[in-house]
Amino acid sequence: MAVGSVPSLRRDAAAPWRHLDGILVAAAISVALLGCLMVFSATRFGLEQQGLDPFTSLKRQALFVVVGLVVMAAVAAVDYRRLHDLAPVLYLGSVGLLVLVISPLGTEVKGSQSWFAFGSFQLQPAELAKLGSIIALAAYCADHRGDLDGRRLFTALGIAAVPMALIMLQPDLGSTLVFVAVVMGMLLVAGARPRHIAALTLVGTIGLIGVLRMDLLETYQKDRLTAFATGGSTDRQGAAFQLAQAKTTVAAGGLAGSGIFAGTQTKLGFVPEQQTDFIFTVVGEELGFLGSATLLLLYGVIVWRLWRTGLLARDGFGMLVCVGVLAMLVFHVFQNMGMSMGIMPITGIPLPLMSYGGSATITIFAALGLALNVHMRRFT
Amino acid sequence: MTADNPRLRLGILAIVVCSLFAALFARMWYLQVLSADEFRLVAQQNAVRTIIEPAPRGRILDRNGVVLVENRPSNVVAVDRLQLTVAEREQLLTRLSPLLGVPVEELTEAMGSRSASAITPVTVAEDVPDEVMIRLRERQDEFPGVVARRIAQRTFPQGTLAAHLLGYIGEISAEKLEELEELEAEGEEVPQHRAGDFIGKAGIELAFDEELRGEDGVVSVEVDAASKPIRVVDTVPPTPGSDVVLSIDVEVQRVAEQALVQGLESARGRRFTDDDSKLVADAGSVVVLDAKEGSVTALASYPTFDPAIFTGGLSQAEFAALNDEGAGIPQLNRAIQGLYAPGSTWKLVTASAALRNGLITPQTTIEDRGVYRIPNCRGPCDRQNAGRISYGLVDVRRALAVSSDVFFYGLGNDFWARQEELGETAIQDMAAELGLGVRSGVGIPGEREGRVPTPASRASLHEENPTAYPEGDWFAGSNVNLAIGQGEISVTPIQIANAYATFANGGTRFEPNLALRIQRPDGTHVRDVEPRVGGTIPIAPAIRDVVLGGLRDSLVVPKGTAVAAFAGFPLDQYPVAGKTGTAQAPPKQDTALFAAVAPLGDPRHAVAVVMEQAGFGSTSAAPVARAIFGQLSGLEQPGPVETVSGGRG
Repeated sequence: MAVGSVPSLRRDAAAPWRHLDGILVAAAISVALLGCLMVFSATRFGLEQQGLDPFTSLKRQALFVVVGLVVMAAVAAVDYRRLHDLAPVLYLGSVGLLVLVISPLGTEVKGSQSWFAFGSFQLQPAELAKLGSIIALAAYCADHRGDLDGRRLFTALGIAAVPMALIMLQPDLGSTLVFVAVVMGMLLVAGARPRHIAALTLVGTIGLIGVLRMDLLETYQKDRLTAFATGGSTDRQGAAFQLAQAKTTVAAGGLAGSGIFAGTQTKLGFVPEQQTDFIFTVVGEELGFLGSATLLLLYGVIVWRLWRTGLLARDGFGMLVCVGVLAMLVFHVFQNMGMSMGIMPITGIPLPLMSYGGSATITIFAALGLALNVHMRRFT
Repeated sequence: MTADNPRLRLGILAIVVCSLFAALFARMWYLQVLSADEFRLVAQQNAVRTIIEPAPRGRILDRNGVVLVENRPSNVVAVDRLQLTVAEREQLLTRLSPLLGVPVEELTEAMGSRSASAITPVTVAEDVPDEVMIRLRERQDEFPGVVARRIAQRTFPQGTLAAHLLGYIGEISAEKLEELEELEAEGEEVPQHRAGDFIGKAGIELAFDEELRGEDGVVSVEVDAASKPIRVVDTVPPTPGSDVVLSIDVEVQRVAEQALVQGLESARGRRFTDDDSKLVADAGSVVVLDAKEGSVTALASYPTFDPAIFTGGLSQAEFAALNDEGAGIPQLNRAIQGLYAPGSTWKLVTASAALRNGLITPQTTIEDRGVYRIPNCRGPCDRQNAGRISYGLVDVRRALAVSSDVFFYGLGNDFWARQEELGETAIQDMAAELGLGVRSGVGIPGEREGRVPTPASRASLHEENPTAYPEGDWFAGSNVNLAIGQGEISVTPIQIANAYATFANGGTRFEPNLALRIQRPDGTHVRDVEPRVGGTIPIAPAIRDVVLGGLRDSLVVPKGTAVAAFAGFPLDQYPVAGKTGTAQAPPKQDTALFAAVAPLGDPRHAVAVVMEQAGFGSTSAAPVARAIFGQLSGLEQPGPVETVSGGRG
């Protein structure tokens, strides 16, 4: 191989794009388009009833997807190894935003101070913090590969603990749990010792029970967490009602679903927060088992491509970034679908690329951008 | 395991991820494939509310279109017992009381109503003003379980008139619903009912429930999660029930009821001849049949009640009052449920049987000395006429007119003496063919059958229950008693009237209809209620003429038992043929009876009057019948009915 060929290759900005993971992109876009359709179905009737343009939510979600695709491309364009160097900046920047959001600059919506409001758009810094933390953790663990002793493990945990604590202050239980999943996944692959993993699992379990027992949570939070297990309540606002309606809606779809726009549960608004956290119930009711399974399959494809990218990654940082993204996505999917089907507690975690919302959609696209980045540059 | 082996660690990750996805898939399968039907039903119930719009019930009219029962809209407040604990119920009633202006005690009593079903709300107040209804609906959250609704209530423009006949409606019982469900499960066609439906429970309301009921309308409304109606999915308007045109003539019914009440009142001023005690005269009934049409023209029973008390549920006190034995059990419809010995009204049967069997001819005479001694007899063998009066030489016609017991005692004995030739039950057979001891088939439930004893039935009753029926053998004396309508005979007033109608019309025994036709609320004809023939009995014109002649004579000839009662009645224009009866009813005082048909040339009306503990039929019952015939003929304005003197039969 000619000596001059390497710099010339590096200068060729288009070269990595030849290794773009088309399957991942196609799967992500498919899910996002289905998401737009489902958001439209979930909101059109309600908007019409209020005398508003029934396309309002659809248009906004479509815009988020477009912005998300642009962000994904942008994230993929910058060599991920430069992100390794920028990791402290990205991490501290996202933590700074978390501090700001719980200051008076942030906006409180439904009891959680999680948003910055810019006109009609809101930014949820917890979403950015997930990415910042994944990059920071990946960078730290990659720097100490094979040597994650107790002290370094604590440092790694500390990196995650700061944003987690700040997010708990908002409070946003769901996002905090995402961090737990991400940290566990990354530490597992990064080489944490099995006994450390076991210990962490134990501490996590005891911690969860303690939190539920010790009145650290607001009653509504506890209700939401336990309603899926306790069941039965006729309170039309309560968590159990929400859960029962979600389950009913999914199941009512049957094998083939009621057909798009034909679900009565969806149209008549029996599922609260349907276009955001409970978007899966629309899929369940209107597209049935076939649609739901297809969606699960699409997520499966995305996860497979993430996993494969991690496997093929040229370096440990790239691999761990992919694992972090994978853990985040899988936790979102499992927690959200599980909640809609009554096997997981209610936590406000969006379904990736499906739920209505800008911050979440763009963050997932950015995260996928990271993985694409690693995939594109696996040979260079 | 070390970090140098990332493939293994990624493998573990892959396994975890695959398990999580598998769990989601399994749950999806369970919900959407295995349990979809069940949840689809839930979703459907979520989204669609059906509102039942009750069909207005048909009216009940008399034969001339006079309204006996109709509907009137009423605001009612009901309380759902199931939604409340006992303590909550008390609190609720305390809050409701000032709003409704009804004392708490009354509300509490209404809540305990026994006629209301346990599963549907109980009506606690009726005719609630509109303002109160609006306030209740506005403050629904303060009054949990309270239902304020507008319903159609049955109303009775003629007051208590024909109360026993009309019957009442009430909420369908859980048992009835179950019964219908079972029938349907067996593949039978049954009327569709829901809990809370009002159905006919007695009388005409029950007998013609299917026609009166109509079909409820249903409005299906799609509602959203806040129960806000979105759109009407389907509307089926209610079909009102049909009107039932009764064969009852309100004017005749009114006269019958009034005459009965006045006759009983007047009888209470007289004394019982057996022991000189004051007559109790506390109950009675009147049946007027149309012998040609095969229908009921009037049917009265005393004591009576106000049918309106059934509207909105019966209170404990009202229920008790209806069934109070001390007050004569007002709910009892004596015309079809009262059982009486027919006394001398039975002589029509014995006379006809004797003539039919050739035991006597119209010319056969006997010497009536006032006393009859049963031949070859042991024990109490003497029977006598009422007051031991001697009537001299009597044939069958005269025997009927003066009610000579001695004549009929002789027939009873002769029948028994010739049992080999004529059979043991010649008299009973005649009675059965005329419909005595047989349900008339009048078509309202609760009718009783009564009993005409035969040697066989007496023997079998004795065998079954020797304590209640100590005598198992049939003697000549039994036949002698039977011949004058005494002994163990028990029949209902409608059976007596129907027997006379059958005899008078030449032998067609109708099962009396109560309705003439069914029509739509606008008067459109739906169907006629066809006459129903229960049986026919050949009655030779010669026999008919002599028997009816004897009955006619009883109103006109000297010593005729009903002469006093019909004194001054225009019998030449409207000849009435009747028979008085005075039946022993120990331990009670005698039952006064009168059965008659008119007009004699072409008999149309048959009347039976039965008055408990009212003494002689001639003095107490016949005057009541006279008032009714006055109305039927249009020849005499029925005046106040009073007992008459003279005539002992």
